[in-house]
Amino acid sequence: MNHSFLPRWMSRLSGVICALALSAASAQGEAQKYDAASFPGFVVDEVVVPVPSEIFSVLDKLGEPNWKQELRGVKTPTTTDRYELSLIFGTVVAEGFVAVQAQDKKAVEDIGREVLNLAQSLGLTKAVRPHAQSILDAVEKNDWKAVRKEFDQTQATVRFEMERTRDIDHAQCVSLGGWLRGTASATSVVAKAYNADRAELLNQPMLVEHFSKSITGMSSEAKSNATVAAISKGLTTIRKAMDSQDGNITQEQVTTIRKTSEELLAQILKK
Amino acid sequence: MKLSLPRRLFLALAACAVAMCLPLVHATVDEAHDYAMQAATPFVEQGFTVREDYWNGEVENAQKLAVRHQLFKGNEYAFWLGTAVDDAELELAVYDVKGQPVHMELKSAKNYCSVRVNPPKTGTYTVVFSVKSKKEKGVTWALAYGYR
Repeated sequence: MNHSFLPRWMSRLSGVICALALSAASAQGEAQKYDAASFPGFVVDEVVVPVPSEIFSVLDKLGEPNWKQELRGVKTPTTTDRYELSLIFGTVVAEGFVAVQAQDKKAVEDIGREVLNLAQSLGLTKAVRPHAQSILDAVEKNDWKAVRKEFDQTQATVRFEMERTRDIDHAQCVSLGGWLRGTASATSVVAKAYNADRAELLNQPMLVEHFSKSITGMSSEAKSNATVAAISKGLTTIRKAMDSQDGNITQEQVTTIRKTSEELLAQILKK
Repeated sequence: MKLSLPRRLFLALAACAVAMCLPLVHATVDEAHDYAMQAATPFVEQGFTVREDYWNGEVENAQKLAVRHQLFKGNEYAFWLGTAVDDAELELAVYDVKGQPVHMELKSAKNYCSVRVNPPKTGTYTVVFSVKSKKEKGVTWALAYGYR
């Protein structure tokens, strides 16, 4: 995985760009219907989990949530369990996205430091330190877009390092923790000012199924971890709460998703 | 367990061969991502945020691939497909849950292409793509996306 948005191609860009003639066409007319049952190719298994700011940006367009109210702070429990540390790491990075929405410098600085502490516990200081520093540098300049990008890169780097060392289960825990914190925050905002457009953002059955499948595929050691087991059970509840004929999510469904994700977060953060 | 000298020599050579091949594959896959990022450049100028996570790999020439991805109504998305193959013919399309195309503004260049999507609903979409070459048996690819 390449973590830098401006890698070595920048130096080649000017030469290449001159040599290229872009051709634009409306593709709607050319594309045929897609039928999964008769698709002649491969479906790539890998799922890219959206970052919380994707959903937050829509919530911003639909109203003006009080993001400061959604901040929880980063009082993380002491543990040496790598599954728990990975889940916590994911929640802290997601908390970073909330802090960026709130444009709270102090909160971002605290989160940046906590990210580094957790990386140390996970043995990933070397990989994470540059990102943590970039987060602090960007917040100093009030460059919120850069902070958001760094949080995304931090999570991607940690997952990449874990996957590189065949630490797939822990990488999944990072994603899972992040998604749960993002979902808790999104459901909190939606519940405060419910309407169908906001609630529709919680229509994410594919992601929940992906996480459930990930846990099913984990080692028996991972699956026997109390927190991972609780999350597995909680995901079943969340998945049921996302059932919808027309994509509409009712207020009651929002409450169930929120309550379940909050309970799982409390278990992760031992609150 | 103690291994004989010829066996140890064989394993050492095999390890060297693997070690020498791996960076080559990664280099070309990384290059495919670099091209996807070239496709992203004008979108970034228009306010798109590029996601750091992306899909990539190496497949048989012209092999059709699909990824399923969660999109949120209210955001505008762009997908960027890149390849290190120089004579590539690229295809990229996005479909809704009913299999209807939802992408627009397909733009192609030598090593990359892009589409935009305004998802009509929040949910799962399928991105279908392929890289076709007249010369290569295998092709590298990278698919990235961004939103605004």
